[in-house]
Amino acid sequence: MNSSKGVYYTWLGLIGAAILAGLYAAIRLFTQGHYLFNTNDVLLWSLPLGSYIYLALTSSGLTLLASLPLVFGVKKFEPITKRLVFLAIATLIGGFVAIGLELGNVLHMIYIFLSPNLSSPIWWMGLIYSVELVVLIVKFFLMHTGDWHSLFSRALGHISFLGALVAPLMIGSIFGLTESRVTYFGPVMPIYCLLMAILSGTALCIFYNLVVAGIDGNGLSEAKQGIFDDITRFFTYTLGTMIVFVLVKVAIESATVIPDFLNYRQYAQAFGGIGKLNTEVLLGLMLPFVLMLIPWIRAGNGSRMLASGLVMLGTLAMHMEILLAGQSRPIGPKAEQYPEYISYFPTIYEWLVLLLAVAVALLLYTLGERYLKLEAAPGH
Amino acid sequence: MPRYAMVIDLQRCVGCGACSIACRSENNVPDGMYWSNKITETSGTFPNVRYHYIPTLCNHCENAPCVRGCPTQAMHKLENGITMHDPNKCIGCKYCEFNCPYGVIYFNWRKPHPFWQDESELIKGGTYSPAEEASKAGGKVLPYYNPERNETLAGIRPKGVVEKCTFCDHLVKRGELPRCVEACPADARVFGDISDPNSEVSKLLGKFRPFRLREQLGTDPHVFYIRDFNPAHYQPTKGGV
Repeated sequence: MNSSKGVYYTWLGLIGAAILAGLYAAIRLFTQGHYLFNTNDVLLWSLPLGSYIYLALTSSGLTLLASLPLVFGVKKFEPITKRLVFLAIATLIGGFVAIGLELGNVLHMIYIFLSPNLSSPIWWMGLIYSVELVVLIVKFFLMHTGDWHSLFSRALGHISFLGALVAPLMIGSIFGLTESRVTYFGPVMPIYCLLMAILSGTALCIFYNLVVAGIDGNGLSEAKQGIFDDITRFFTYTLGTMIVFVLVKVAIESATVIPDFLNYRQYAQAFGGIGKLNTEVLLGLMLPFVLMLIPWIRAGNGSRMLASGLVMLGTLAMHMEILLAGQSRPIGPKAEQYPEYISYFPTIYEWLVLLLAVAVALLLYTLGERYLKLEAAPGH
Repeated sequence: MPRYAMVIDLQRCVGCGACSIACRSENNVPDGMYWSNKITETSGTFPNVRYHYIPTLCNHCENAPCVRGCPTQAMHKLENGITMHDPNKCIGCKYCEFNCPYGVIYFNWRKPHPFWQDESELIKGGTYSPAEEASKAGGKVLPYYNPERNETLAGIRPKGVVEKCTFCDHLVKRGELPRCVEACPADARVFGDISDPNSEVSKLLGKFRPFRLREQLGTDPHVFYIRDFNPAHYQPTKGGV
């Protein structure tokens, strides 16, 4: 008992230290400016924005999974639903921390509401995720008080489902609507982001629940084992779909002779790769897919953790790869003052933004597990 | 209401950069940023090479991607067609800069003009610090600060927001020309109302075959280029034989 308490407080201490380090970075960013990032007027968006995209999309994926019982009535999944909603909230708050520190002037966010621009995908993304967060928190509160299926509660479930469906499309549109940067793949990008949301959300769901079961020491109950058998199958289908998508993307990138793509290629394997396939695709998509295709490996909780963990890392790397490669070359007259290709490695401040965002999410997960009865389901 | 446009005559432009220097002084533009800039290119293979120079600035596009994407309308169109920015509404997301096909928007990554805010003296007790010098000159941050810029836009834009060329809207508003047009020693820049068929810009666009940068994107830029500076000539032949 004492040793588990010790581990718990050590864990909280680590999270606290990470948050303090992140807050130091935040204060420096607010007072000194964003030159503390390894960015410039060519490579504008870097690890903090990649972290936001990753966390926000993962939150949408978790909400979409939670909608199976909340919207589509799949009662079998109810034992993990409250935790899914909570994870979605905590992950989205982590994402907001990352974007808050990425923005040059976060205090002006009030103008999102006072001076809206309906033709801006960033405006829609900001609005939908803000509403989504409020709806998820109210929905979670209702579930916590035992109200899962009242009309109001169900309406909130439906709204959060729609939000989680549309928000990733808006993130994709931010890139896809940029006609002058063809390497972001135009209208295909929103679909890509939606698929990535489902994939990373499912991966976090599997990984997190297995970690919690491991910490409890009791393993998964029989009912939960059945749930995760289903979710792992769904995870494998999603991985397969994502692989097809990525292969088509690689084929287009390889075949085209549009100059932007020829330039893009020189940067498109920041993490290395074999042939046209990037390391993060090989290790973050294909290896987990192959592992999950083999029935006896798929059945093991250890291998499920490995596969979902690889996908969590792989999807973050894939977001970063796309984000950076499309901004690697100066546009127009900026070629006069910047090199032909911009190299990038995050500064300590960028790592600290990621650390703060993840630490805030982890703190919420930890406190939620301790105080909010995340295992609760209707009728229990 | 006029729709302002600029015609740049590449035959007259000598590439002296006076436009960029004048712009910098007029608008208190920080180091590392170029509201007025240039694209230089070389074509051919040595020894048959040639140098090309295209002055650039915000194109004040009719269908401006920066305006379309700005979540708070900080980047907006004025009635006279000028693409204007309001730093008070800017959240610093940099989407306008990401979206601009012409690379003419810059972000204030730090407090602008850091050199002139430095309080350390080069020789202790012997020289002014840059900050003291600026203050003695009576400028605001800069010793050469232009207070007129402050009439329609923050004289010096704060950190965390973007900035770009405004066609010197504060000068245009009182019937003057943008500073780059005024400063051009070769009179290579013509500024005026494109909706008026009798304006000089309209006449030039009818007389020469203009081109605009990345026209295929459909942004409808309002900076036009005419002619080309090329004194070279070659002997007429039948097919090069």
